[in-house]
Amino acid sequence: MTRCRPRELAFTLLFFSVITPLLCGDELLPADRPIAEAVDHYIDLQLAGASITPAAEATNATLLRRTMLDLAGRVPTAAEAQQYAAGTSENKRRELVDRLLNDDAFIRHTASELNTLLSGDRSEELRPYLVDSLTSGKGWDQMFREMINGDNSQEASKGPTSFVFRRLNDLDKLTNVTSAIFFGINISCAKCHDHPLVEEWTQAHFFGMKSFFNRSFGNGDFLGERDYGAVQFKTTEGENQDARMMFLSGSVIDEPTWKSPNAEQQNAAKKQLEQLKKDKKPLPAPSYSRREQLVKVVLETDDQHYLARSIVNRTWHRLMGVGLVMPLDQMHPENPASHPRLLDWLARDFVEHGYDLKRLVRGLMLSRAYGRTSHWESDAARPAASRFAVASVRTLTPKQYATSLRIASRSAGYWKNENREELLKQIAAEESAAAEMASKFEQPGEDFQVSVGEALMFNNSADIQNKLLAEDGSMLVGQLKAVTDDRQLVDEASWNVLGRPLADEERQLMMQYVANRKDRRNAAIQQLVWALLTSGEFRFNY
Amino acid sequence: MMMSQVDPKTLKIEKEISRSDILLSVTSVGDSSRVFVGSSDARIYELDAMAEKPEPQAMEGHQSYVTGLVQTGELLISGSFDGSLIWWNVETREQVRSVKAHKKWIRQLAISPDGKLVASVADDMVCRIWKTANGRLVRELKGHAEKTPHHFPSMLYACSFSSDGELLATADKTGQTVVWTVKKGKQLAQIETPIMYTWDPKQRIHSIGGVRSVAFSADNSLLAVGGTGTINNIDHLEALSRVEIFDWESGEQTHEFAGDTYKGLVEQLVFHPENQWLLAAGGDHNGFIKFYDLNEKKIIKQDKAPMHIHDLVVNEAYDTIYAVGHGKLVVWKMQSEASEV
Amino acid sequence: MVKPRRTSFCGSPEHDINRRRFLGGATALAGISGGLHALRHPVLADELKKQQKRVILLWLAGGASQLETWDPKPGRPTGGPFRSIQTSTAGLQISELMPKMASRLQDTAIIRSLNTRIGDHGGGSILMHLGRRDEPNLSYPDLGSVMARELGQADSTVPDYVTFYTATEGRGNAVGRPGFLGARYAPMFLTTSNKPEDIERIANLSEIDHKQRGDLRQLLSDRFTRGRETSRALDSHNVAYRRVRGLMASDTLFDVEQEPQKMRDRYGPTLFGQQCLIARRLAEAGTPFVKVSRAWWDSHGQNFETHLELVTELDHVMSTLLDDLKERGLLESTLVITMAEFGRTPKINGSLGRDHFANAWSASLSGCGVQGGSVYGKTDEDGQTVADGEIGAARMFATIYKALGIDPHKDYYVGARPVPLTDPGTTVVDELLA
Repeated sequence: MTRCRPRELAFTLLFFSVITPLLCGDELLPADRPIAEAVDHYIDLQLAGASITPAAEATNATLLRRTMLDLAGRVPTAAEAQQYAAGTSENKRRELVDRLLNDDAFIRHTASELNTLLSGDRSEELRPYLVDSLTSGKGWDQMFREMINGDNSQEASKGPTSFVFRRLNDLDKLTNVTSAIFFGINISCAKCHDHPLVEEWTQAHFFGMKSFFNRSFGNGDFLGERDYGAVQFKTTEGENQDARMMFLSGSVIDEPTWKSPNAEQQNAAKKQLEQLKKDKKPLPAPSYSRREQLVKVVLETDDQHYLARSIVNRTWHRLMGVGLVMPLDQMHPENPASHPRLLDWLARDFVEHGYDLKRLVRGLMLSRAYGRTSHWESDAARPAASRFAVASVRTLTPKQYATSLRIASRSAGYWKNENREELLKQIAAEESAAAEMASKFEQPGEDFQVSVGEALMFNNSADIQNKLLAEDGSMLVGQLKAVTDDRQLVDEASWNVLGRPLADEERQLMMQYVANRKDRRNAAIQQLVWALLTSGEFRFNY
Repeated sequence: MMMSQVDPKTLKIEKEISRSDILLSVTSVGDSSRVFVGSSDARIYELDAMAEKPEPQAMEGHQSYVTGLVQTGELLISGSFDGSLIWWNVETREQVRSVKAHKKWIRQLAISPDGKLVASVADDMVCRIWKTANGRLVRELKGHAEKTPHHFPSMLYACSFSSDGELLATADKTGQTVVWTVKKGKQLAQIETPIMYTWDPKQRIHSIGGVRSVAFSADNSLLAVGGTGTINNIDHLEALSRVEIFDWESGEQTHEFAGDTYKGLVEQLVFHPENQWLLAAGGDHNGFIKFYDLNEKKIIKQDKAPMHIHDLVVNEAYDTIYAVGHGKLVVWKMQSEASEV
Repeated sequence: MVKPRRTSFCGSPEHDINRRRFLGGATALAGISGGLHALRHPVLADELKKQQKRVILLWLAGGASQLETWDPKPGRPTGGPFRSIQTSTAGLQISELMPKMASRLQDTAIIRSLNTRIGDHGGGSILMHLGRRDEPNLSYPDLGSVMARELGQADSTVPDYVTFYTATEGRGNAVGRPGFLGARYAPMFLTTSNKPEDIERIANLSEIDHKQRGDLRQLLSDRFTRGRETSRALDSHNVAYRRVRGLMASDTLFDVEQEPQKMRDRYGPTLFGQQCLIARRLAEAGTPFVKVSRAWWDSHGQNFETHLELVTELDHVMSTLLDDLKERGLLESTLVITMAEFGRTPKINGSLGRDHFANAWSASLSGCGVQGGSVYGKTDEDGQTVADGEIGAARMFATIYKALGIDPHKDYYVGARPVPLTDPGTTVVDELLA
């Protein structure tokens, strides 16, 4: 693999991003176009070139559900679904997106998604910072700066620097994770390289990146950094060498010469650290910070595109189901994007508009590509997902699923629709209450599969039964109990859970089910609601 | 006969001999510094602990760890994990007889004060009493359960005669100590010290601990048992050492020394014949030696030992201790009014 | 760039089945659930016959001491107090703590020469569950998931992969993950109960309603799936629900009280014994992989006391299990493995304990495909290093696969990337195989 020879890497990037399009007479679309327009331009261009007719736009009901899941992290209530369906405005989709973007739920949901990306496990340390940052409209560049080298006078576990702080005991892992998450490059793949020379470059890349972190350490609750020390590695000749700071592009950082402290200085430093730890005080800043160098090279040099391209790709992946580059941590010239110029355009747009995540999300979600149905009707073979000719089915996150289950199992009358503020409070309460159920589901990764444990739980857990199928008036089952007409019953159930009207076939099936159980109608209603809540349709974002 | 006051506060290491093996047992020849030590290499070594250059003489015969050694007159009797008892001539170091005493691992030996009987305890949960003169089996004491309450094989760790030779105490893994009459083998009392047995049903699902040492006071009214406290992580001997003392006839606990500094098992207990103190020794990765004041119910002196102590003998004046354990033999001395430093 | 190795997709129907099974989950074999359907299709019938194999892994969590089990060194400074005893194999001795196994080694092969180098619980467990080191950008399946995939049936009505891990210590290390094979092959992880959670119908729901409720769900979901068949996640959802009724019917497998008291007494009153009995029941019913974890062997202190307890139990339970399987004619198609994340140090510490040791340790294989009565590899006289026949996790796993008739060099595919079951160049230890 040639990707790790730094000079070649830079050249190939240059080639792909600038020279090829020029040679093909195909410059990037001008920067003043709206994001949605650029998206559709490049997607449609490729479809036309491959003679693929894309799928139609998704139905209103589907689009509403999809949009709400992606912006608010939940499915619509029956009232919201019916209201949207009845809406006559030409721009109702755009109005919907803009309204949801201004809700707190958008911030909460996006913070959850970013938290999952940045924390990996289920820890919540970063969440308050993410919520704050999104609320104040902080750019991703600024967030990167703060996570890598933020305010070290604050307790590290409580703010953005917890990203670094909690990984200090395994610097290799910190290096890997930083590179994969922020730059879309996994550099721990030693096995991928057969070429003996490339092996060495891989080492240099890895140790070069690690060098940004090697001086960092924790002292009590505070993050500190020494002003001396280097990562040592063995060359292929078996020599021990000090690594120099080197970014993934191959850019080497020159730093002032440093000296290791003598025994006396070390002892003094140790005493000082112990005292600071005792006093619960932050550490003095080093005279020279390597972490700061990482921030500089990523944000202030030509290597800027790494940060932008990765988050653009990940955001695209989150909303479209497939990244422009897949896998998400293999962004290198040997693995080109499905739509290279689109990625370039989006990355440029992102940088030029202050790394604004909200703007990017809005743009993507207003595109035609985003709004297509996931149902492929044509006799022609279904195109690859990376064509974006038809939408992908995406697995709900545990939080989305649990919150949506709770909301869908509430009666329509439960919601305070007349008072939007009250309604949003109710919704937020359901989100919080859903945390326990959410812990029972797996966070979806690539190629997610539902385990039989989940199916058994829905089938047989008394807890699920009690939480979702309770019969009191605040619950859907309670609402439906009072309905005597079977047709009305199943229609109400469908609007409440699936957010859409039933097809004739479905209506018939469901009415038949209830009619066969006249002697136990309430139980039948519970079972009906169960079948809707556990359907494939409800489990996924389609 | 009144003995001179021995002051544990003057405890000092007199000699330290390093070894590459683990010493599990020790006995002295009369009141001399000549000792026999039982090793993990299955041999018994005779050496003069106080000599400038102790030159250990090896005695072969056992197949596994030599865990018990007693001496009486011309005889040295040894017990081992191989289940056999071997009689040796103390002077010639030759085997006199070998007896297949137990089917399982012999844990400890005790000799009656008059030297006529030797008791062995083993993991077949039987205590056997033998005539030292001819190796004949005199009595079997059966009563300790073969399995723990959790269905695992149990261990019978310790035994000790009373100073009048009438009583024998045996102690096991589950924290049960039994007092028997020597003559008839009748059970007189059962003392429970369940804290010394940790069964972990949740984290690691097995047990650790047990009563490892037992001793009668000089007037035989009190019985001291030694082990360790409740352990949380049973992969390690991480609890503080523990000694409980009972008026064994009434069953009432008179003293509880739950440890304050040193962790591990109390492997040996020795009462001063005039109740001046109770000595406890043992260890975990390291070792300890302590002296308890029974009247004040507190520690007179405790020190870290250079090794985990498995066994020890005290001389007639009770001012010299020969201790053996993990990789070492150590001689401690204390000052008494009559002796010189 | 590494070119993907081509294996022929076309040609034998077998290959096609394997490919479709991997790509499409159960849809490739939709409607076929063994029994009559399968027998009508000759290749499937053969597949199934070959697949009637199972594995029971006795996971000695925490690291059992090889010196107190399969590779004693009596009389050596590192040997400890326990001696060795003669076994049914001439010239072979094992620890005196295992008299029952010693007398019945005819179906067992002992491996004494494992050198796996990783001496921490987490890393060692991952290595000995995956058979290879973990990779950050590729999630490998563990042994159980591979077995569920290779030996299991598409619409199996019994669980494919069950793990028992009751003790709390080390549970997190006991990797049970399907990785890129997908959650279809995830284990049923039993901890506080010997019965899977949620396997019994709720009291106030009748049997018929439970079934028909599921049918309604299925019908609605099938409608939704039309036009979206390429979504593997969606397909897996349907597969998971389809398997529920079959799995519920298998709940009695987990109930030891279904066995006569005499049989339960044979296995003994300990938890480990009871769980091995359940393992036999599951294996007998066709569960391809059951792991019974016996935690926790990490005897840093009091190694001999701990092993006295645990090896006595292992000896009894393992010999009972092998006898039981043999009596039922199952041993020749069942592979029983004892393994841990590593062994224990020859050096004995001050607490009479042994610490972690991965340089020279032992494992055992019994039953299916194994050369019984054999011993592979040697350690030096003190057990400090491997003297002969050194193998690592890779060869161990390759040998396990081969014993079960699985090609250790077959490829799975992750996207277009071929992922061999064992790393290229890994050879099987032929001496261990019958």
